[in-house]
Amino acid sequence: MKVLAAGVVPLLLVLHWKPGAGSPLPINPVNATCNTHHPCPSNLMSQIRSQLAQLNGTANALFILYYTAQGEPFPNNLDKLCGPNVTDFPPFQPNGTEKVRLVELYRIVAYLGTALGNITRDQKTLNPTAHSLHSKLNATADTLRGLLSNVLCRLCSKYHVAHVDVAYGPDTSGKDVFQKKKLGCQLLGKYKQVMAVLAQAF
Amino acid sequence: MLPLVWPHTILVADGRTDCSTQMMDISLCLKRPSWLVDSKRVRMTSHFQWLLLTAVLLYLTNQVNSQKKSTPHDLKCVTNNLQMWDCSWRAPSGAGRGASYEVCIENRSRSCYQLEKNSKIPPLLPGDYEITVNPLYEFGSSKSKFILNEKNVSLIPETPEILNLSADFSTSTLHLKWDDKGSVFPHYSNVIWEIKVLRKKNMEIVKLVTYSTTLNGKDTVHHWNWTSDMPLECAIHYVGIRCYIDDPQFSGHKEWSDWSLLKNISLPPDSQTMVFPQDKVILAGSDLTVCCVTQEKVLSAQIGSTHCPLIHLDGENVAIKIRNISASASSGTNVVFSVEDNIFGTVVFAGYPPDIPQKLNCETYDLKEIICTWNPGRPTSLAGPRSTSYTLFESFSGKYVRFNRDEVSANENYQLFFQILSNQEVYNFTLNAQNLLGQTESTLLVNITEKVHPRIPTSLKVKDINSTAVTLSWHLPGNFTKIKLLCQIEINKTNSEHELRNVTMRGVESSNYLTTVDKLNPYTIYTFRIRCSTDPFWKWSKWSNEKQCLTTEAIPSKGPDIWREWSSDGKNLIIYWKPLPINEANGKILSYNVSYSSDEETKSLSEIPDTQHKAELQLDKNDYIISVVAKNSAGSSPPSKIASMEIPSDDLKIEQALGMGNRILLTWNYDPNMTCDYVIKWCNSSQSGPCLMDWKKIPSNSTETVIESDQFRPGVRYNFSVYGCRNQGYQLLHSIIGYVEELAPAIAPNFTVEDTSADSILVKWEEIPVEELRGFLRGYLFYFEKGERDTSKIMGLESGRFDTKVKNITDISQKTLRIADLQGKTSYHLVLRAYTGGGMGPERSMFVVTKENSEGLIIAILIPVAVAVIIGVVTSILCYRKREWIKETFYPDIPNPENCKALQFQKSVCEGNSALKTLEMNPCTPNNVEVLETRSVAPKIEDTEIISPVAERPEDRSDAEPENHVVVSYCPPVIEEELANPGAEGGGGSQVIYIDIQSMYQPQAKPEGELDSDPVGGAGYKPQMHLPITSTVDDLDADDDLDKTAGYRPQANVNTWNLVSPDSPRSTDSNSEIVSFGSPCSINSRQFLIPPKDEDSPKSSGGGWSFTNFFQSKPND
Repeated sequence: MKVLAAGVVPLLLVLHWKPGAGSPLPINPVNATCNTHHPCPSNLMSQIRSQLAQLNGTANALFILYYTAQGEPFPNNLDKLCGPNVTDFPPFQPNGTEKVRLVELYRIVAYLGTALGNITRDQKTLNPTAHSLHSKLNATADTLRGLLSNVLCRLCSKYHVAHVDVAYGPDTSGKDVFQKKKLGCQLLGKYKQVMAVLAQAF
Repeated sequence: MLPLVWPHTILVADGRTDCSTQMMDISLCLKRPSWLVDSKRVRMTSHFQWLLLTAVLLYLTNQVNSQKKSTPHDLKCVTNNLQMWDCSWRAPSGAGRGASYEVCIENRSRSCYQLEKNSKIPPLLPGDYEITVNPLYEFGSSKSKFILNEKNVSLIPETPEILNLSADFSTSTLHLKWDDKGSVFPHYSNVIWEIKVLRKKNMEIVKLVTYSTTLNGKDTVHHWNWTSDMPLECAIHYVGIRCYIDDPQFSGHKEWSDWSLLKNISLPPDSQTMVFPQDKVILAGSDLTVCCVTQEKVLSAQIGSTHCPLIHLDGENVAIKIRNISASASSGTNVVFSVEDNIFGTVVFAGYPPDIPQKLNCETYDLKEIICTWNPGRPTSLAGPRSTSYTLFESFSGKYVRFNRDEVSANENYQLFFQILSNQEVYNFTLNAQNLLGQTESTLLVNITEKVHPRIPTSLKVKDINSTAVTLSWHLPGNFTKIKLLCQIEINKTNSEHELRNVTMRGVESSNYLTTVDKLNPYTIYTFRIRCSTDPFWKWSKWSNEKQCLTTEAIPSKGPDIWREWSSDGKNLIIYWKPLPINEANGKILSYNVSYSSDEETKSLSEIPDTQHKAELQLDKNDYIISVVAKNSAGSSPPSKIASMEIPSDDLKIEQALGMGNRILLTWNYDPNMTCDYVIKWCNSSQSGPCLMDWKKIPSNSTETVIESDQFRPGVRYNFSVYGCRNQGYQLLHSIIGYVEELAPAIAPNFTVEDTSADSILVKWEEIPVEELRGFLRGYLFYFEKGERDTSKIMGLESGRFDTKVKNITDISQKTLRIADLQGKTSYHLVLRAYTGGGMGPERSMFVVTKENSEGLIIAILIPVAVAVIIGVVTSILCYRKREWIKETFYPDIPNPENCKALQFQKSVCEGNSALKTLEMNPCTPNNVEVLETRSVAPKIEDTEIISPVAERPEDRSDAEPENHVVVSYCPPVIEEELANPGAEGGGGSQVIYIDIQSMYQPQAKPEGELDSDPVGGAGYKPQMHLPITSTVDDLDADDDLDKTAGYRPQANVNTWNLVSPDSPRSTDSNSEIVSFGSPCSINSRQFLIPPKDEDSPKSSGGGWSFTNFFQSKPND
């Protein structure tokens, strides 16, 4: 479980700084205690929309930067190498209630956050001099963390949902380099795709 | 297998020989008839013969075997360990299974063994042995004898057995393990192993190698590794082994063992497609095989963007061969296989082994830790976990430190830290560089006490000692107690070059150091910084931070530089002094004390503040010595003194000088009387009255100096005064005006026109003020040209222009200029400009109109008047003198027709000369009478045709010529007094003066003198000669006439007459071309009568009779 040590654990420690964090958690009952370690701002939905728009706006550039850094033949075989064929990706229903959408958003962001952490780790090893890519990956991960925090705040403050079951992205630590590249590319392709949907939905 | 028992072989050979003989016979017997048949039959017969021959052979063989079967035969002996021979023979026919034999070996002794058919016998020593095999309990069987020798025994090792076959898939290496079973061999033997590697299901041999070992009497397990060029995952690999024992003591046949059972390596079946090798690191430039293990059909493969041909393996598995692979980027080289809807791939990292570490250097900052740095050399093209790791090993201590570059760090500094060991100064370092492709190393032996590179000194402090010395203290971390430190202090003074001072000191345990810096200037701001090294020198540390310090004050070292000037009224003496420079003031000047003393008294002024640098003294006529002292907080300066006395100057000449930039060179003659010094003072010449910009003191032995001042400006005139000092008094020696740089005049000179005449202009101009002149005036340029104010545009008054005149006035004292040779009443454009050594100044222009030339005008008027008067007078005279002619011409007396004397003419004139023919007047009837009477109403022209005798009888005239050369063709005029040639009468000839009105109309009037020149031509009446006018026809006629003697043919030119008599009223019957004036009778009867002006006359020409015609008249015609 190297991925937990490298990519997921820091993220979860930040987001769920409490015993038991990191394991799949069910949605709490409505009357469960909702503890956030910082006060939720008043314009949460506005911030969430803004963050989604920001992520959506930079997703394509990140995608291009990523597959360019992987070398040939990635840029010329995007459909086969970088198609958004990500299994176990959390679903999203744009027509659901806000609560359902927020819960699904939370799952997606958590999934993407861990996956992006894995990608960042892999790329720092694989492309140690690709500073621009690292910078963009880090910035995206930061925004995802902020978005996750805001979504949790919203769920907690309005719907009293303190915990949501989350699934994490595929663990790439044991895979060969080509698989890491390909999975990362597929995930960023999926990220670009789903961000467009999410930005529209909120 | 060779027959090992030679007697048996002989036996068999004998039997074979017999059989062969029989077979040959049969064959020959069968062959003979074949010669008699045709070819087709021959072939069929040949097949039959062979069939028959085979049957006979089988029969014979069977017969032989049946004979042999009765005894043991075919004895064979082999061994696989030399300790026992396995001998076997074929049992006699009928011998049951498990039959026993007595085998006796006879050599020197006899030994018998009761054995079964295949039994082991102990090895025999070299030599022949008779072996008797006697079947026991077999009736009907006989014993056999064999000769057995070791040479007939075969050594066939046991089939080796593979103990283990394993694979390292990451390196594509097979590991083979087997036991040589050497314990069964009695002595050392060489063994050759042959190993074969087979690939794919069809078992293609990909490797066949031999491997030599030695049997040492013990069972030994051997290993053999083989690295495949193709990943082992790509296809199944088989391995087999056999051996050959080369025992030198064994003289028999040695043969390879059988191949062992094949063992294989293969991946467990997996439905997932995989590409091998994965994440392979290989040397750039090498070859590589990559395969794809898949259940799907692979469509293509490519490395990077380059497609590669597929090599088909078992099933759908494919491979590609990559040759001479290039170094990869940091993310590796992608090798991919495309199936219908997916791409599988792997990443290959092609790079280089680490280069030898270059420029390995080990030094210490503080003698506590050694830092070794190096240059990695050629990049390996491998990054992250595949990058090079370094190990620094110290051989004396056996300690090492390892350098593992952080996977995510892009820090390019290659350095390792090694803790200094106590009591060890010399270190022998080995830096080992290693990556997946190889390793290199570099070594360095260093005495670390000689490689000290101190850190930057910190906590630099400065403390005053006195006005010229301070104390510096600093902290230098490090354990330098055993060595000496060499520190360098940089002293920076404002507006001065920095100074370096070295200090040596022994290292102290506290690392705090102190030193004194002396020989400083008082009241000066110094900036200190320090750096250190060790002795022996290796490297300087970085400079410490700067520390600034102001030294304390001291008394001024000199008095101020002073000068004095008398005021403009000459009553007061003004003392000037310059502020002391900072290096002489030694502190902040607080005030100045001015005192003056004579032989009688000494006076002082009150303290003058620092801001004021002059003082005015009211002195009497005594000579005074003025003293100025500067004071600061530390004390007063030595006094500066100057005498008030000024020695009168001799005649001074003002000289000129030119400088360059902001400096000007002044020279003067050496004057031995000047014992003190020279003082040059200068000021701007534009300032009125005494002025003083600055002064400079020059030693008395100098004759030149360069005055330099930032205040000097180009184009500004400065006055320099050179004073000499003699007996404490100053005398003005030279006065010089100069410019550091001349410029062109800033303005044009003002000029006016003082005087103007018809042909000259006097111009006068003014001097340009000095401040506007901006240089030494060299002259003026004066341009002038014709031109109006509005129309003339002098475009650049160059002297080269043809219409512009230039006068260069180099006499700068000249202030006027007269421009002569001008035209009167003409506008001139005048331009004046001044020039200096710096160039031409601007121009000033003016337009001036010269006065009118009255004398010329008068002359111009008088001359025409005089000419007109003269012409009038001459005309009058001429008219007067020719009045008769004029009268006759223009106003002739009109004859009275009643007084016609035509008949008288005949009588009186023609009677006296019988030679002359008389004119018959009877037919002479006036043909035309023009009556000019003013009173008449209108002139009437009556044309009366007459028949001219000349015209009618021209031959008569030719006949008359011989008779008399005078042709009287006309009646003489009535006025006989008018005869011009009275001699004609005396000569017997007569000439009739005939005045014909038509001559007035001759267009070509001849002057009067010409009449005399042509007396012959004029003889007779030839008016026709003058008649030709313009008509071409007439010209032709006239030419014809020229060939004839002049005669009277007035009819020929009647048209001319009509044309040239503008005022003559033409007859209404003007078409009568035979109108003639030629009738001699008509001369008197035909006169012009001045008619009244008849405007109705159709032929009246507007030109009329003119004054010109008056002069064109030919009175003699």
